[in-house]
Amino acid sequence: MSTQAIEPSVIVREFKAPRQLVFDAWTKVEHLDNWMFPMPGATCKFVAADIRTGGSSLHKIAMPNGFEMWLFTRYEEVTSPDKLVFLQYFSNEHGDILPSPHIPNWPKDMLATLAFEALDANNTRLTFSWEPRDPSAEELAAFESTRADHPKGWGAGMDQLDAYLSSMQG
Amino acid sequence: MPIWEYNCHMPRAKTTLDVFSAIGEPRRRAIIEQLLPDSKSVGELVDAMDWPQPVVSKHLKVLREVNLVSERREGRHRYYSLRPEQLQPVQEWLHQFEKFWGGTMDQLDVYLQTIQSDEKP
Repeated sequence: MSTQAIEPSVIVREFKAPRQLVFDAWTKVEHLDNWMFPMPGATCKFVAADIRTGGSSLHKIAMPNGFEMWLFTRYEEVTSPDKLVFLQYFSNEHGDILPSPHIPNWPKDMLATLAFEALDANNTRLTFSWEPRDPSAEELAAFESTRADHPKGWGAGMDQLDAYLSSMQG
Repeated sequence: MPIWEYNCHMPRAKTTLDVFSAIGEPRRRAIIEQLLPDSKSVGELVDAMDWPQPVVSKHLKVLREVNLVSERREGRHRYYSLRPEQLQPVQEWLHQFEKFWGGTMDQLDVYLQTIQSDEKP
């Protein structure tokens, strides 16, 4: 994919659990409904799930304050137990991707790449990389066509920007 | 502020061109990188990128329209400088996602601990 063109943001976590279990937690609804929400007191409900390469899912997250959001996920790669790649979008309850009516061009979707690494039988490192992505065909073509021109990618620049912006905020 | 609220409150022009669409083009990102260390003229950019001058000018124009790049005249030359503070909305957007997924992974951690302690006799 285009991970060379845009430096993805990365979250690395280690879990005290076997790799297969951590992977299953991301790919089986009986697990997902129990934890796939961003804060305690929220809930998650998968209403459709076909979690395999080329499949998709639809789930609702309800926040403690009552706010509800629907997320539609397209799975680009599901390789048990070590790799998961998906695109996720804000959607409505039918799984129709929302066109961000209020905010044109807001990058409403995200490409996530998850690598599951067994540290030992009972410890797993998860590397979660994600990048905003406009999935239009033109964008994808542009990414691919310019990779050769620009092999260093966006990364070096992004690091500097990051440092700059952090210093501004600090 | 969670991203879904943040989205609604962000002041956004109702045009198709903004900082997000501007940096969606890989060549414009390449120009931004060139301008990071210091300002350059079109000629210097053409040399650095090895692209035709009209291509460089076209992308510079877009970057100027969203105020990511400013122009200054010095004699016969025009120099272009990056205004990286204009990328702040992108940075904030990324931070929102980090909060969302960071929080979600905390929940996964709690869940994994719970089910494994339940399994033990």
